[in-house]
Amino acid sequence: MNILVFIKQVADTEARILIKGDNRSLEIENKYNLNFFDEFAVEEAIRFKGKVKDSKISVCTYGGKKAVEALRTAIAMGADQAYLIDNTDLDTDDPLITAKILAGFAKKEGFDLILCGRQAIDDENGNIGAMVAEFLKIPHVTAITKLDVVDEKKIIVENDIEGGKETKEVQLPALLTTQKGINEPRVPLITGVMKAMKANIPVIDPVTLGLAKESLDRNASKIKILSYETPKGRPPVKIIDGETPEEKVKKLIKLLREEAKVL
Amino acid sequence: MSKDIFVFIECKEGSIRKTSFELLSKGKELAEKLSSELYAVLLGFDTKSLIDEIKPFAHKILSVDTELLKDYRWDTYTDAMEYLIKKYSPYLVLGASTITGKDLFPRLAARLDAPIVSDAIGIEVTDGEIKIKKPIYGGKIISWVTTQNTPISIVTFRPNSFSIVKGDTAAEVIDERLEISMDSRINTNRIDKGGSKKVDLQEADFIICGGRGMKGPENFNILEEIAEILGGRVGASRAVVDSKWRDYEDQVGKSGKTVSPKLYIGCGVSGALHHTMGMDTSKVIVAVNKDPNALIFQYADYGIVDDLFNILPALKDGLKNLKQEA
Ligand SMILES: Cc1cc2nc3c(=O)[nH]c(=O)nc-3n(C[C@H](O)[C@H](O)[C@H](O)COP(=O)(O)OP(=O)(O)OC[C@H]3O[C@@H](n4cnc5c(N)ncnc54)[C@H](O)[C@@H]3O)c2cc1C
Ligand SMILES: Nc1ncnc2c1ncn2[C@@H]1O[C@H](COP(=O)(O)O)[C@@H](O)[C@H]1O
Repeated sequence: MNILVFIKQVADTEARILIKGDNRSLEIENKYNLNFFDEFAVEEAIRFKGKVKDSKISVCTYGGKKAVEALRTAIAMGADQAYLIDNTDLDTDDPLITAKILAGFAKKEGFDLILCGRQAIDDENGNIGAMVAEFLKIPHVTAITKLDVVDEKKIIVENDIEGGKETKEVQLPALLTTQKGINEPRVPLITGVMKAMKANIPVIDPVTLGLAKESLDRNASKIKILSYETPKGRPPVKIIDGETPEEKVKKLIKLLREEAKVL
Repeated sequence: MSKDIFVFIECKEGSIRKTSFELLSKGKELAEKLSSELYAVLLGFDTKSLIDEIKPFAHKILSVDTELLKDYRWDTYTDAMEYLIKKYSPYLVLGASTITGKDLFPRLAARLDAPIVSDAIGIEVTDGEIKIKKPIYGGKIISWVTTQNTPISIVTFRPNSFSIVKGDTAAEVIDERLEISMDSRINTNRIDKGGSKKVDLQEADFIICGGRGMKGPENFNILEEIAEILGGRVGASRAVVDSKWRDYEDQVGKSGKTVSPKLYIGCGVSGALHHTMGMDTSKVIVAVNKDPNALIFQYADYGIVDDLFNILPALKDGLKNLKQEA
C-alpha cells in the first residue's frame, strides 16, 4: 500500500510576526515547525503501516528549501521517503494551486491512502485536503478521530460532525484529514533522527507534475492579498475592586449591562 | 455579469442555524449595494416549515427538498450546489466555517475551480471589488484579501461575525428538482449525536470557560448553571480537556474551537497564547483569576482578581436575579 502524507512547515505559534512597511508582506521570526495537525497525520500513517503489511509512507510538501526540516521530522518519526516540491519564485496565496500541485504529485506517485492535517495553523484554511480529494476524484473525510482497517480495500473512520460523531465505511483510495484526539504523535528516537539526517530528499520541480508554469504563479492566483494589519488591541483591562466577592460581582454585572451592553 | 449572492442555509436538528441568519443579513446588505438578488439556498428533506422563516431575509429561496439530502454528505451536497451554481451563476457564495462548511466548501471550490476564502470575519464590497477580512496566524495578523481571475468567489465566515437584521422581503420560492446520487464509496454507519441538545459552542452568544483553576470536573456544575441562566455554553481550556474533566468538543483554543461570543468569561484560565488564539475575537472578555499577573488579563475587558470559588456563587446569584427582574 502506498500511503502519502501531505505536510506543511508553519511558523511556530510563539514566533514573532511583523508586518513589513509595504503592509503586504510579513517578517516571520525563524521558528518553524511541522504543522500541529500534520503530526497526527504522520503518526496515523505509521500506525496504519503497522496494520497493513508491505506499506510504504511517503511524505511530501510544497514549500521552500527550508521545508525539508519538516520532512526530516516526519522521517525521524518513521516515514520511509520524503519529497520536496520546490515553490521558490512561485509562492502563491491560492489553495487551489497548491492542491492541484499536490494532486499532480499523488497521480504521479500512486497512492492508496492520503493523509493531511485538518488545517494549517498559519493560513487557518482547512481547504487543501478536500480540494486534493476532489482533484483526484476520490472520497474524503475531514477531521477524523479514529481509523480502523477492514482490509486492503476498506477502512472505517470516525469523525466529528455537528453535535456528535459519525462512523463511516470508506473504500480506498481515499483522503483523510486528521484531528486532534486521533493519536498521540510520537517523539522521534535518536536512531530516527540519525536516519532523517542522512535521508536523501528529492527536490521536484512543480512544472514536472503536469501543470504549466504560468498556471502556478501569482498572476494565475485567484486569491490576492491586499494588505495585512495588526488586530486592534483591547483597551487595558478594568480590574474590578470591592471589599467582598458580592460587591465585585455586582459592579461587574452593572458594567456588563450599562457599559458593555451584553447582558 | 450577475452580481447575485448565494447564502448556503445550514440546518441542525431540523432548524436553521443562527449563523445562517447572520449570513443572510450580511448578504442582503451586500446585494443592496450591488443592486443584485440574494438567494437563500436550502438543501434538505421536509424543509417546508423552514421556508417561512427565511422569507423576510432573502429575495429568492432555492429549495431542493429530497430524502437524499436529509443528512449532510459532501457528495450529494456538492452535486446539488454545483448544479444550482451553474444554473444561476452567482457572483458570491457565502457559507459558515462550521464543521459542515469546512467539509463542503473546499470540495465545491475545487469542483468549480473557484477561489475560496475560509474562516473570514468580515466582508466589504466597494466599486465591484470584494474585500474579505480574515485572521491568520492564530489571530496575530489580520489579512485583507480579494479574488481575481474568476466570475465567482466562495467565502466562509466564523459564526457570530455579523449581527442579524430581519428584513421585510417576502422571498419568492423556487423549487428545484435534480438528479442526485450518493457516492457508493462512502457508507455512513452510525451517527452518535452526543452533545446535540446543547447550544453549539461556536454559535453561543455567551461562553463561560473553565480552566485548571476549577480544580476538578465536579466544580463545572456551577459553570453549567450559569451558562443555562444566560442561554450559553460551557467551554474548557486544553488543560481541562487533557485531564478528562470535560469533553474535547468543549475545548476553546488553537487545537480546539475558535469562538467569538458576545461575552466570554474565563474562570481559572491562565490565558496561554494557544488558548487566547481561540477566543480573542470575542466581543467582551471577562477574566476571573486569583493571580493578578495572569496573562488572560492582557486580553480581558474586565477582570476580577479573586478566588473563583468565592466569585462564582455570587455571579450565579447575581445573574439569576437579573434574569428574574427582566
Ligand atoms: C500545540 C499546542 C496547542 C494547544 N492548544 C490549546 C487549546 O486549543 N486550548 C487551550 O486552552 N490550550 C491549548 N494549549 C495549552 C496551553 O498552552 C495552556 O497549557 C493551557 O491553555 C493552560 O490551561 P489553563 O489555563 O486551564 O491552566 P493553567 O495554565 O494551569 O492556569 C490555571 C489558572 O488558574 C488560576 N487559578 C488557580 N486556582 C484558582 C482559583 N481558586 N481561583 C481563581 N483562579 C485560580 C491560576 O492562577 C492560573 O492562572 C496548547 C498547547 C500547545 C503546545
Ligand atoms: N504546501 C503544502 N504542502 C503539503 N501539504 C500541505 C500544504 N499546505 C497544506 N497542506 C496540507 O493540507 C492541510 C490543510 O492545510 P490548509 O488548507 O492550508 O489549512 C495541512 O494540514 C497539510 O496536511
